Amino acid sequence: MQLRTFLAKDMRQALTDVRNAMGPEAVIVASQAAKGGGVMVRAALEEPEPPLDLVDEAQGESDDVDSLFHDSMIRRLREKKSALPGRRVFDRIEMLAAFAKNRLPEALAHTLAESAAKAGLSDMTLALAAAIDQRMTTTPIDFASAKAILLVGPNGAGKTAIAAKIGAHARLAGRQVRLVAHDVTGAGAVARLKDFADHLDAQIVTAESAYVLAGVVANAVRDGALAIIDTAGFDPRQPKAAAAFSALAQIQHIDIIGVVSALTDSEEAAEITAALAKLGASRLVITAADMTRRMGALASAALTPDLAVGFVTRSPFVAGDLETLTPLALARLLIEQTEGTQ
Amino acid sequence: MTLAGPRLTAIGSGKGGTGKTFVALTLAQAFADLGERVLICDADLGLSNTSVHLGLSHGGDLPGFLAGKTPLKAAIASVTTEGHAPFDLLAAPPGSGALASADKAAVDKLSQLLRRVAFYDRVLIDLGAGIGEAVLTLAADADDVVVVMTPDPAALTDAYAFVKLVLKRTGGRAPGLLVNMAANAPEAKRTAEALTTSARTFLKAVPPYLGFIPTDMRVVECLRRQSSLWQSYPHCPALTAITGLTGLLGGGPARIRASGSLR
Repeated sequence: MQLRTFLAKDMRQALTDVRNAMGPEAVIVASQAAKGGGVMVRAALEEPEPPLDLVDEAQGESDDVDSLFHDSMIRRLREKKSALPGRRVFDRIEMLAAFAKNRLPEALAHTLAESAAKAGLSDMTLALAAAIDQRMTTTPIDFASAKAILLVGPNGAGKTAIAAKIGAHARLAGRQVRLVAHDVTGAGAVARLKDFADHLDAQIVTAESAYVLAGVVANAVRDGALAIIDTAGFDPRQPKAAAAFSALAQIQHIDIIGVVSALTDSEEAAEITAALAKLGASRLVITAADMTRRMGALASAALTPDLAVGFVTRSPFVAGDLETLTPLALARLLIEQTEGTQ
Repeated sequence: MTLAGPRLTAIGSGKGGTGKTFVALTLAQAFADLGERVLICDADLGLSNTSVHLGLSHGGDLPGFLAGKTPLKAAIASVTTEGHAPFDLLAAPPGSGALASADKAAVDKLSQLLRRVAFYDRVLIDLGAGIGEAVLTLAADADDVVVVMTPDPAALTDAYAFVKLVLKRTGGRAPGLLVNMAANAPEAKRTAEALTTSARTFLKAVPPYLGFIPTDMRVVECLRRQSSLWQSYPHCPALTAITGLTGLLGGGPARIRASGSLR
């Protein structure tokens, strides 16, 4: 049944409106004086019942073998092959096999499988989602109120592109953006950032030392601009590099976001993200998710304790979307990945 | 969008009349305005009424889509509001009771199909009232579940039952709480706390509190008149409250169109 409400200055007008909008079959089911003069009329229209036959039509009875065969053949040809895979029943061995296929670190694989078994669910994906939910946190970046974001991670993880991506989204949220180059020695590092800044209509600032950077950040916060700091890539597991970084981590207002590529070896990814968490990173951005079919690095990075997932990127382009990662999505990637995700 | 396809966000409550459909539709518009491609599925299989809320003449052909007879493109109805981004609706014809007797297999299929719809970033599922098999299956298969409750005591007990069963189905993924029709922030907080406290005590899980929607006669007025709140009162607090939820549910900022080296 269709039900629509009409407001008109008088009953005659209302009835005309009803006829015009719903046709002559419409029935007035209620009318009353409207607030502030005029009338409010409610009209209903019953549509013809839609054909609903989820079950196949009854087949004509026949005892002739040939015609039975003929009918069944036609039925099978007409039948649409369902591309929908059914639900998979929880099985620890199968789950571990899927983990191995994804090159998940072994210790993590066993912990996850154990915790999935404890969930006591028969559906494999849901059981894994429950296990992931206990270990993974996600915190989206609030572009409208963030103050200063410092990107840190190994070389080639995509820090500069992520800086531009975050800058673009912050601009869309109406923010003023300052791209800050901390790495001024890398060949073309500043030039690349500058090119992005020009396109984003953002300012570019260089800050070679922690002292200068602190000033730049303070200025940006004062002006209500979002400072996005691009740093030189380094291995956060190296004590020397980590010590050098600690001066940056202490700057006020800075929110440290780790950047790691899904193309990293999964054990290394786990080590790197754990080291990033130790350096003071609160969130993680995982890049290059489109470049790998083995989700081990992505999963082990996302499941790092004390490090929330900010977003995941699937395209090297600045205009690409920021994808979210939910426990269910990660479970599906790990278990149902063979079907293809796109 | 999640890395594994569209992000499924289910809106449920247990009790009827708490404003699920209103919340779902408003969220759909808010996500669409952010630049997401949104499909809203009216999964109140027996009593589908989303299109009535919208004042649409038809809400799509969910039964046909489910039976594999209508392709998704033909089964949806497009919802357009002037000055806002469009989104799509997939529902059964209102008042037909067409899917009232949908069985477990049909619900399972619906859930799998929604997970795989192409071209969408977000699928909002407006769950029916109650805590039946269909409601729980769809809730468990969703990335996020939002429980809409009101300060009304009956809504609290029903929301509790809903949370309890969802936790059981998902092995502990707790749904988020949204308090609708609250007089003010303290009342909303009290209402949510009543539930979080019971959940913490009896279920050993803490559903996160997402926020509240203040009572507003303008919302009721628009629902009765079947007109869009976005058009009549674009700055009303109820809309602001629901728009604020998008960030918590992983709402993506607008799609960026770029060319040249910015790509």
